Amino acid sequence: MKRKVEHPAPREAPSGPRYWRSLDELAATPGFQAALEREFPEGASGLDGVDRRQFMKIMAASFALGGLGLAGCRRPEENVLPFGKSVEGAVPGLPVYYATAMPLRRGAVPLLAETHQGRPTKLEGNPAYAPLGGASSLFAQASLLELYDPDRATAHTRDGAPVDGAAVKDLLTGIGRKHMADRGAGLAILADASSSHTRSLFARYIRARFPRAIWAEYEPVADEPPIEAALSAFSLRVKPIYRFAAAKRVVSIDADFLQVGPNSLTYARDFAKGRRVEKPDDPMSRLYMAESALSITGTMADHRLRLASGHMLAFAAALALRVTGDKAYARAAEGVELPAGWVEECAADLIANRGASLVVAGAHLPADVHVIAYAVNEALGAIGQTVDFVFDTQAPAASIRELALAIGRSAVKTLIILGGNPVYNAPADLDWASLQKTVPEVVRMGYYADETSALAGTHIAAAHYLESWGDARMADGTVLPVQPMIMPLFGGLTQNEVLGALVGLPDTDPYRIVFRAIVGGAAKNPESVFQKFLHDGFLEGTASRPVPVRLNSAGVGLALARAREVPAVGREAIEVRFLADLTVDDGRFANNGWLQECPDPITKISWDNAILVSPRLARELGIDSPSSLVQVARKDLADFEVGKEKAHEVELTIAGRKLRGPAHIQPGLANYTVVVPLGYGRTRAGRVGDGVGFNAYAARASGGLHVANGATIALTGERMLLADSQWHWSMEGREIVREANAQEFRENPGVFREIGLEAESPAVVLGPEPGSLSPAERATLIPRGNSLYATPKFDGRHQWGMSIDLNTCIGCNACVVACQAENNIPIVGKEQILRGRIMHWIRLDRYYSDGKADAAAFGGEGNLEIPEEPQISMQPVACMQCELAPCETVCPVNATVHDDEGLNVMAYNRCIGTRYCANNCPYKVRRFNFFDWNMRRLDSLYMGPLGPRGMPELIQMAKNPEVTIRMRGVMEKCTYCVQRIERGKIEWKVRTAQEGHPQDVVVPDGVIRTACQQACPVGAIVFGNLLDPQSAVSRAKARDQDYKLLGYLNTRPRTTYLARLRNPNPRMPDYAKLPLSRVEYERKNHPERG
Amino acid sequence: MAEALQHAAGSPAVLAEVRPASLPRAQLVGHGRSFSWITQKICGIAEEKTPAWWWWCFGVACVVASFTVAGLTYLVATGVGVWGHRSPVNWAWPIVNFVFWIGIGHAGTLISAILCLLRQKWRTSINRSAEAMTIFAVVCAGIFPVFHLGRIWYSWFLFPLPNSNYIWQNYRSPLEWDVFAVSTYGTVSVLFWYVGMIPDLATMRDRFASVGKLLRARIYGVFAMGWRGSSRHWSNYEMAYLILAGISTPLVLSVHTIVSFDFAVSMLPGWHTTIFPPYFVAGAIFSGFGMVLTLVLPLRAVYKLEDLVTQYHIDCMCKITLATGTMVGYAYAMEFFIAWYGANPFEGFTFINRAFGPYAWAYWIMVTCNVVTPQFFWFRKVRECTWLVWVLSLFVNCGMWFERFVIIVTSLARDFLPTSWGYFSPTVVDIFTFFGTFGVFSVLFLLFVRFCPIMAVAELKAVTPQASPHAGHAAPGEDSAHG
Repeated sequence: MKRKVEHPAPREAPSGPRYWRSLDELAATPGFQAALEREFPEGASGLDGVDRRQFMKIMAASFALGGLGLAGCRRPEENVLPFGKSVEGAVPGLPVYYATAMPLRRGAVPLLAETHQGRPTKLEGNPAYAPLGGASSLFAQASLLELYDPDRATAHTRDGAPVDGAAVKDLLTGIGRKHMADRGAGLAILADASSSHTRSLFARYIRARFPRAIWAEYEPVADEPPIEAALSAFSLRVKPIYRFAAAKRVVSIDADFLQVGPNSLTYARDFAKGRRVEKPDDPMSRLYMAESALSITGTMADHRLRLASGHMLAFAAALALRVTGDKAYARAAEGVELPAGWVEECAADLIANRGASLVVAGAHLPADVHVIAYAVNEALGAIGQTVDFVFDTQAPAASIRELALAIGRSAVKTLIILGGNPVYNAPADLDWASLQKTVPEVVRMGYYADETSALAGTHIAAAHYLESWGDARMADGTVLPVQPMIMPLFGGLTQNEVLGALVGLPDTDPYRIVFRAIVGGAAKNPESVFQKFLHDGFLEGTASRPVPVRLNSAGVGLALARAREVPAVGREAIEVRFLADLTVDDGRFANNGWLQECPDPITKISWDNAILVSPRLARELGIDSPSSLVQVARKDLADFEVGKEKAHEVELTIAGRKLRGPAHIQPGLANYTVVVPLGYGRTRAGRVGDGVGFNAYAARASGGLHVANGATIALTGERMLLADSQWHWSMEGREIVREANAQEFRENPGVFREIGLEAESPAVVLGPEPGSLSPAERATLIPRGNSLYATPKFDGRHQWGMSIDLNTCIGCNACVVACQAENNIPIVGKEQILRGRIMHWIRLDRYYSDGKADAAAFGGEGNLEIPEEPQISMQPVACMQCELAPCETVCPVNATVHDDEGLNVMAYNRCIGTRYCANNCPYKVRRFNFFDWNMRRLDSLYMGPLGPRGMPELIQMAKNPEVTIRMRGVMEKCTYCVQRIERGKIEWKVRTAQEGHPQDVVVPDGVIRTACQQACPVGAIVFGNLLDPQSAVSRAKARDQDYKLLGYLNTRPRTTYLARLRNPNPRMPDYAKLPLSRVEYERKNHPERG
Repeated sequence: MAEALQHAAGSPAVLAEVRPASLPRAQLVGHGRSFSWITQKICGIAEEKTPAWWWWCFGVACVVASFTVAGLTYLVATGVGVWGHRSPVNWAWPIVNFVFWIGIGHAGTLISAILCLLRQKWRTSINRSAEAMTIFAVVCAGIFPVFHLGRIWYSWFLFPLPNSNYIWQNYRSPLEWDVFAVSTYGTVSVLFWYVGMIPDLATMRDRFASVGKLLRARIYGVFAMGWRGSSRHWSNYEMAYLILAGISTPLVLSVHTIVSFDFAVSMLPGWHTTIFPPYFVAGAIFSGFGMVLTLVLPLRAVYKLEDLVTQYHIDCMCKITLATGTMVGYAYAMEFFIAWYGANPFEGFTFINRAFGPYAWAYWIMVTCNVVTPQFFWFRKVRECTWLVWVLSLFVNCGMWFERFVIIVTSLARDFLPTSWGYFSPTVVDIFTFFGTFGVFSVLFLLFVRFCPIMAVAELKAVTPQASPHAGHAAPGEDSAHG
């Protein structure tokens, strides 16, 4: 899709590469560095943030040195061949794309960075990497903002004083030299997890060079199944790679595989393939899920069993017992009461699909559960079919516990901390902060000067991955390049440079380190191999090869023998699950405003974490108070007073450690499991993340890193406000998300058209007989209410439309933040979200159904309860681009009008802010700038002209230059990324003109992609030209599931939905003939049908 | 009357035709006050030394008005976010207040124009102050739609001015209709008020001149536009007044009809109903008369105007309030009926939600004030108890504010997609800005009381018995036409 362009031969002209080369050469000389620092003393402002004036001076200096104003990036000196569209062109004003990757723990996301004049403004998945097809994750989308975070560490410091990079390297080399003599005794390195091949080489090298040193790695949350499980089951250091596309039946044992883990993007994509039903008789996979929390994966389940995490071993054993028939599992399966028939029927279904079924266990579960899951997979013939095992390439490392013991023995004299943030997130029982203080020399490398840096003598500012040379591996082993888009803005270093200096490499140039690590062994022409690597964005053929494994039954027996008594879970012995937050992860993204503001996909809370309690536990605690006497609509979620959640604060006591936080009632949890998201309560995250939420790490000890038992919970009597972007959970029996069971759809493909009201007049482009009339004819011939005003003619060469597949959408939020990045959408802060002023152009609506909406308008028992066992429906909602847009008729100044290609466009300059359009929009997708979000600080919005004004320069750099920054008082909304449409059209016209074709041409399908579509990991969003019957969107809309949201209003929306299908097993005890949302719809609208 | 009936019953054959029985006309000016008494009374109010109470009231009103000034200054300096509106309640107090004040502005023109055309002579003693009230209410109303704009400095986009930006208005938008409706209404109301005042201004000019207060005489003289009271003047004046009454009459109906289109033309359940235009007009007249009562009764007490604003006047106003209040109550009931009869689940929900949802408190305040309160006016005892009438008129004002609140906020708060539902709460700035408009209104009204003839002196004289050509020829209380 993206045009691959051969990199031009180095130009002969003296003006081009010479400049860059000389810049870099010049920049590398100590004299220049010294001069630069004399003029712009780095770190003059200390660690309190960025002195923006200084920053701009530096930027200006580097631009000037670049001569062409293009030297924000130092790539040319290395003669990099990037994946680009228009390298030779490099037309100012047009973006240039480079391949890179975002490393995250044990995985990475292949990316394509859009750069404008050397600054990256948007990240997209790398479409060249076929398995992901351009998909990217929420974190990848949001990571761009961190590059421009004014709170990032801007200087290396030693004992509080700024030092330059050379001094840092000297210091490290000195440490290395000092420890050469004692072979590393007293030296310890604590690193975060990494998939980098280069770094693992360094780790090995250090192990060899400093054999007595400790190389420890620590990550606060588990990503991958414990390696011990594979050692027990297969006696090999292997890890599973699941093939969800091939799996017809999946059982997830507490595994949120769609969202968590290094491979979740691939899994989500593959899983969606199994779910996509294009024709009524297409097969559809079935997902069984047992879980304690309510995860993204749980929302997709066809059968969902609420079960404490501590009971998963027994569940897995019960499943194994039914699948294998091996009595050895019987003892381990005891002690937990499961719904009669659930496991039996599930197992029968798995056996019936032998070879196409799969059991997945959550990474946080004990190794024994994984052993049993592996055994079940073996018994089902899944290995080699739906699950492969590959060697775990990670070099072994010590744990943080071992390192803590060493520090406790005073055996560590020099501690180097690479990344991570142990002072904040190490297990509470280690008391890491005190330990770290006892180490004489602590060198900490981090992107932020955070909690850990505050207790370290030396802080090394790390470079952002968009400023770094590096490499990473995806979970499947594919090697990806990390290449810089811009010079390190604040002279940050990469881990490779730091390690290189430590081991005394003569040349610590990060590019050459990576080059040597990746292609050092290539026999011939390493340059071109590396160039292709950078160009493609991945190294072909590096995916790990499956390892044949054989189940070691003795290992399984041992695991079963180890099975202890099932932990008691109840009102007095609460189970606590610690989870990485779905938006700020383990806390590393706490200072990212996009992510803080992004509502949790399940709870819909932004800017906070909360202790999630089940409705039953809430009732027992007395916090699920009945609301009004007469319940018109269903009871709102949790404790709402005048539209704001005033959550009761609760105190959790976990093995003597206390944790206080607001309780949020969450349907779908196991009754006595409380879920505590990690990653909040930071104290030195920055201006955005400080003091947001509570720190759950404080109560998390080594014994229960992921699941802790025997906790008690009590109300403190305090209340606090939580900012929910959505608080009503019920669809109220309305046909908003239309759902059916796969079986019903097979028997009656027209089922979705029979639900709900429909307008009489068909849409202009989406009429009953596409093609029989032109859009212009349809606009004039089809009755539309006898308006005196002309309806738009829709006579453009393209007619844009969108289709959103609710059947595959998992609700991951990637589209929300992708849209935010693309369209310069501001954040508004917790206080404003409490006032209902969130700005997201696309939002994810989340509904719970329990089948109890009443036939009567009000009253009735079912209306008073929050469901314990809900079915969940997700729906992304953005501007529908209605052909008869209600917003357009009411705008008094013509600020929102239709174009001839069917877009409902906004002229921001015309908008005077009557907000009438937003009132008249039935989808409530218009967003209003109540304040000057861009020019005012969020903490001084109400200070008016007395508050500081202006956007930090660093933030300005993150903005997409193709999209207007909206000022205060202006309405805004989704435009189908009109800037992308126009750019696509222009580029296509230019291209066809160059090829001698006529100018006015239709852009082929797939060339223009909206930001949300681009980011969607499961391809649920399809956009394109409706006039082309072969376009993906036309084909999607021709499917039987297609329906219009609120179609009866005759708005004729251009965005339509593909209804959701559920695929329950009729033999299961919790089988429902209709999805519960449909039950509610039928009860409400057709009570006579019974 | 009793005699006539007896006569008719006694000898039916004598009557060639059945004549309607003549009802005794209520005296529009009590105690048979003379022309000079009336002139002295009304002009005296503006001529006397400024009473202390006026200064106190004026001071307080200025302080209260400053709340609006401060609130709006802060709003423009900071952003409309200082008000409490939000998604999905994008219109809240500002528009509630706008409709509320516009509604109040209705009684004035109704009294002046429609009652004039219908020859309801009791209008003469209240029309001047009611018209003044209209204008000041329109001033207060005009504040809100302008200041609730996100970018007030571009509010001129709303007017069809030739400009280089090629900004042209969208004539499909009810808001654009509002611009013309309200500005026309404001203009015509000012003209009507002013034209009606010219003879009285001339009277005051002459009175000031006669006591040697020449500066004042000159100022009033300017506004009296050379009125000399010649027959030609009177002839032209009467014609002009009649024409203006004719122009104003459709405006009374059109303004609030168009304001109601802001809602009725949209597609929101709870707004999208055809009953709105008559319902809004009835409500506006209802609230307008409520406000007239609120203003005139204290004025009557302070200036001892019982002979000019008689119990008959109060009775008339109470009855109109009762009638329009009952019409409003009918509209409330009809909305529910149509919501049920229309069988649209969204609309049905909206109305049930209005009455029993989170804003039920507002709904029941509205019903109590607007439907229950006026029912007291069925009773003569209540109508004759002035302080009670005044208290009830306050309830009417309050209820009509809540009516607009209920319509606007409850419909918006819970519309089509439950995920967007919200709950609006006002901010301090909302409350202060609205509260301050009462100060703005009071300041203007106090200035009116102080400097203008608060009643139409010339017209009042015309409705006294001695103005009749048959004065003295028939017994008082007999209808001269049939006497």
